[in-house]
Amino acid sequence: MKIETTRFGALDIDEGKIIRMPQGMLGFPESRRFVLFPHKGGSPFFWYQSVDDPGLAFVLTSPFLIVADYKVDTKEALERMAWKENGDDGNYELYVVVNIPKGSPEKITANLIGPILINNTAHEALQMVVAESPYSHRFSVVQA
Amino acid sequence: MLILTRKLGERLAIGDDICITLLEIKGSQVKLGIEAPRSVEVHRQEVYERIRAENLASAEVQSPDVSMAEALLRNSR
Repeated sequence: MKIETTRFGALDIDEGKIIRMPQGMLGFPESRRFVLFPHKGGSPFFWYQSVDDPGLAFVLTSPFLIVADYKVDTKEALERMAWKENGDDGNYELYVVVNIPKGSPEKITANLIGPILINNTAHEALQMVVAESPYSHRFSVVQA
Repeated sequence: MLILTRKLGERLAIGDDICITLLEIKGSQVKLGIEAPRSVEVHRQEVYERIRAENLASAEVQSPDVSMAEALLRNSR
């Protein structure tokens, strides 16, 4: 399947790789389908490109690269999505949204209170809202 | 904005399936109990806004800046 993107031009994507987000990303409810691919081979950063909106892409990374013992309670998220905790549909990945101010890569931050939980078996995802969290929404990735 | 006055323990119904109960009043804080279907997301406004703002900012990130951040991380670890 071919999709148009503003940043990457036309992309040929495997339809089976499309991740559905029934609730979309917070602030972007219209985009419900995304594809995830690394910035470059071996990069810690990923692009989360909307299939529905050519101009919409988020930068993601693994929270465990930032806080090795990152913990988040996924119980409510699993319930909301009607996913089982373990078993056949339990192939989960966590990502966090990254913000890099233009021209200031040292000011890179990650939002640790709005992680994205991807169910790779169901090809679905949701953005969690972690209300009671010890983490910051602007966690400095590069330690001064 | 609709403004209603409620006493402790009284409830508000929003549509058929959302119910809000005034559970406790302590000084300037009130505790609310919210019953809503799972499909309705209920969040503290400020938490929701923070996540939304970070999403908006991330959607503006350009590819060269990602490459620069990647190089920076590689060199700092």
